[in-house]
Amino acid sequence: MAKVKQKKERTFLQDLLNFQGSLNGKSQFLDKVRLKGAEGVRNTPFPTKKLEDWKYISLRDLYRDSYELASELDVEVPDFSEHYLPESEQSRLVFINGSYSEAHSTTEALPDDVTIGNIAQLAAEDNELLKEHLNTYAQNNFEDDVFTAFNSAFLKDGAFIHVPEGKTVDTPIHLLNIQTDAEEHYFATPRTVIAAEQDSEVTVIEDHIGLADNKYFNLPVVEVNLEEGAHVKHTKIQRDSRKAIHIARTAAFVAKHADYESYTITRGAKLSRNEPRISQRDEEVEFTVDGLVLIDGDQVSDTHSVMDHRFSHAESHQLHKCVINGKAHSVFNGKIFVQRDAQKIDSFQENRNLLLSRKGLVNTKPQLEIFADDVVCTHGATVGQLEQDELFYLKSRGLNEQQARELLIYAFALETIENISVDSVQELLAEEVRNFTKRQLDSELAV
Amino acid sequence: MSETEALESMVGGEYKYGFTTDVEYEDFPKGINEDIIREISRRKDEPEWVLEFRLEAFEKWKQMEEPDWPNVEYEKPNFDEIQYYSSTKKKDGKKPESLDEVDDQILETYEKLGIPLEEQKQLQGVAVDAVFDSESIFTTFKEKLAEAGVIFCSISEAIQDHPELVKEYMGSVVPKGDNFYAALNSAVFSDGSFVYVPEDTVCPMDLSTYFRINNMQSGQFERTLIICEDNSHVSYLEGCTAPMYQENQLHAAVVELVALEDAEIKYSTIQNWYSGDEEGQGGIFNFVTKRGHCRGDNSKISWTQVETGSAITWKYPSVIMQGDGSIGEFFSVAVTNNRQQADTGTKMIHVGKDTKSTIISKGISAGESDNSYRGLVKISPRAENAQNYSVCDSMLIGQTCGAHTFPYIESANPTAKVEHEASTSRVGEDQIFYLQQRGMDEDDAISLIVNGFCKEVLQELPMEFAVEADKLLGIKLEGSVG
Repeated sequence: MAKVKQKKERTFLQDLLNFQGSLNGKSQFLDKVRLKGAEGVRNTPFPTKKLEDWKYISLRDLYRDSYELASELDVEVPDFSEHYLPESEQSRLVFINGSYSEAHSTTEALPDDVTIGNIAQLAAEDNELLKEHLNTYAQNNFEDDVFTAFNSAFLKDGAFIHVPEGKTVDTPIHLLNIQTDAEEHYFATPRTVIAAEQDSEVTVIEDHIGLADNKYFNLPVVEVNLEEGAHVKHTKIQRDSRKAIHIARTAAFVAKHADYESYTITRGAKLSRNEPRISQRDEEVEFTVDGLVLIDGDQVSDTHSVMDHRFSHAESHQLHKCVINGKAHSVFNGKIFVQRDAQKIDSFQENRNLLLSRKGLVNTKPQLEIFADDVVCTHGATVGQLEQDELFYLKSRGLNEQQARELLIYAFALETIENISVDSVQELLAEEVRNFTKRQLDSELAV
Repeated sequence: MSETEALESMVGGEYKYGFTTDVEYEDFPKGINEDIIREISRRKDEPEWVLEFRLEAFEKWKQMEEPDWPNVEYEKPNFDEIQYYSSTKKKDGKKPESLDEVDDQILETYEKLGIPLEEQKQLQGVAVDAVFDSESIFTTFKEKLAEAGVIFCSISEAIQDHPELVKEYMGSVVPKGDNFYAALNSAVFSDGSFVYVPEDTVCPMDLSTYFRINNMQSGQFERTLIICEDNSHVSYLEGCTAPMYQENQLHAAVVELVALEDAEIKYSTIQNWYSGDEEGQGGIFNFVTKRGHCRGDNSKISWTQVETGSAITWKYPSVIMQGDGSIGEFFSVAVTNNRQQADTGTKMIHVGKDTKSTIISKGISAGESDNSYRGLVKISPRAENAQNYSVCDSMLIGQTCGAHTFPYIESANPTAKVEHEASTSRVGEDQIFYLQQRGMDEDDAISLIVNGFCKEVLQELPMEFAVEADKLLGIKLEGSVG
């Protein structure tokens, strides 16, 4: 029996490659990328718990099932306009089950010289910019990663955003990934490419929403490139269905004087794994990789980040907060690398966990690997519950137990989202936090 | 003297314990197999159950593979080229009863190392067990300790004289098959110290063991076992040195500590094995398993270590806090220079309620060395109100060394509180400048800054050790900046 399982694990992604044939023939360029991706899937072993980076989570729930290709399903799409952002009424790309939906998308508010659109379409038009950027960064930072290769093997629809030199895009761009209910389990592999040229500025909201509570496998890959002096603010909100599996990769490259800000909010999915990898391309850069994880029930959330300091004079910041309730399990591994001769690095990393329940579990490993001497790198990690004296203080001010707890959890979570520049997103997340907190307290009181 | 020369004279010539003692050894074949293990056991005249313990461990070891997860690189030792037992020829084939019977040359060796074995010359209040290669040479103050009921002797003697104690506790903290090197040690272990402190006893003096590897072909596989009964207390010190050889030598020890109710064990190490030359030739592979078990309620185990030697250090003194209210502590300074590599840290396993642990780790890397802290703090679901506080700071001196931090935190209890912080920085130019303008030279300034950096750990050491450690740090890092 054990043997059969192992085999399933090994071939699970390869078997899914059978769906690949239907995609080919529309763009030679994409065909090539897919071919290479498929090769990667065949040649890269599927991760197991024996690997240091995968030791705390089990992918059994993923590979013991079979999946259909999302774009081949015939599904009913309910109205989801409540998820539109007011700031992005005219700057939105919508993907339903991984496929581009022209009917729901609009980019009218964006300047003409910004190239934005669906990858498949741009590829069919033989767009040179797309060819230059697509897959360049993901391949570089996730060379030996089977999931990135799998995403490439099914590369078709996705968002491509190119901001030309000196351009500031004021309107935030909303990338709305909607997953609908379906009878079959399906998989989707959305790809996003953000290319910001010299001194340009852009804000992108990557939004994943599961409308029902069905099981699916969502595997988004995001590539970001910042040229000299560029500024990209990237917020990712993951609200996939409570049965979904979400495995995400983000590869970002930051050139001189550029500033990359990334905020990842994890709320949904049964099993989620985020892997942001940020690499410096030149001296004097700044980047932020903040995260907030709110999980309960039987959710498992895993974040493995890499901040690779390759040149001198960088400032980096990572604040990763998790609130864990129920039987949820949170994993964090943040690697800070400072390569030889990358002097004058100022890097800050903090992972704070609020463990609210008896059955919850926290595994955290902040990690420093430093090969240069003139640096200031700090990291911290804490695991604990709400402070008794803080509760007492609030109660002495007239709040009841529930209000006091609610306020404290809310304050704990808020720190990570208050830097997000889009108001409606901040409000929406604040609401998510409030709902989460309420839910926890209701269930706690019910017990 | 130019700066380079000064540096060379300090770094190169610093290891003053690198001499060899020319003594005659009894013949013993190299390599490892069942016959060798039987032979070790026979020579030590061990009872049957010890031989069985060894053979079982050997069976397990054969099944195991050398782990490769530590952040160190080395050529795996050839286990068939090592001599697993090395004893000097005795005058009449017996262990010396008094100091007069000990080989003069060995006495001289200890004299040179600054560890006089004659009791009148000794620092008051420290009893010494001197281990030379595979055997314990002599243990001082035995009688005085016996008056208090404390047993302090080599583990071989303990196997003969107190088999019931050894049988009960040996392997109970570090099982035979715990890990690759612990299994190897369990199969071929030689002398280490045995300490037993009975109920309601405060050990009247500090106990210490001085380990010396002399034989070029041999490795050292000592096994130390310390048992503290209810409401007793002991402070134990350990020191190590070895001559300079071109070849790497293996040191794979096992240390087990057992603290029963309200007992307290304080274990301090100054590890100064030969670290190899500047090119990384030679030096000791220090692969050690050290673990303490707080078995009783409100017991306490405290590890303090100053790691300056060894080509490769790979050890994690750990505490399993099983008793409610028990306390685990780990204070460490690890210094690496030249081509040294260290992967060291601790494991704090919280099992009982209201358990508390503290980790203070200071890593200093210089030259082309690599220094890693690797630690685990584990809170089990029933460890109510467990608390951990960890700090690991690293300091880099020069641009060719590396510092790494791998702290693992696993918490499964919401009432537990775990805090970890770490930082990496360097000796600030402005700090040096400030001290220099106050009239100190650069070396003294660095030494002062480094000492300040390590102070939290050094102050945990017993007095005599603290002085030694202070000097050691100074010598180790002299001339590394500039």
